[in-house]
Amino acid sequence: MDSSPELQRFLQEEKQKAMIAEMVGKLTSECWDKCITSTPGSKFSSSESTCLANCAQRYLDMTMLIQKKFQSMQQ
Amino acid sequence: MDSSMSPSSSSGSSSRPCPEAMMERLKSQLEVAYAEEFLQNVEKKCYLKCITKPGTSMSGSDSSCISRCVDRYIEATGIVSRALFRNPH
Repeated sequence: MDSSPELQRFLQEEKQKAMIAEMVGKLTSECWDKCITSTPGSKFSSSESTCLANCAQRYLDMTMLIQKKFQSMQQ
Repeated sequence: MDSSMSPSSSSGSSSRPCPEAMMERLKSQLEVAYAEEFLQNVEKKCYLKCITKPGTSMSGSDSSCISRCVDRYIEATGIVSRALFRNPH
């Protein structure tokens, strides 16, 4: 009853969600610094919004690269 | 045999919280934690962008900058989330 499978599954899900929320938070913070260089306006310029999207996707590419490199280093 | 030792039947079920109630409580605590962390980020970024020359009071342009900044930061969070989860990697 203390460690019901529902509870375990719930905790796993919430842990995943927390990791995702943390990644989005950190990435938004970093990409904001990189991309929003002037005083915030009433909307983003297209270069600002493109920069934010690119920033996030390049971060993903980078984590893949680093993972691959790490794996090859361990062989 | 001592009747004062036996638990009253009406409160027997309150000794252990049921999983659903625990999950609900955890969920709402997590929501609060996410919101607090988000707020802290927004405060930091918008202070940096908008309060560049602190005066003796908040000027109108400072407060409208902050308002726009909050909107933009929320928008930026959406852009980053969509870019991360649209990605087919």
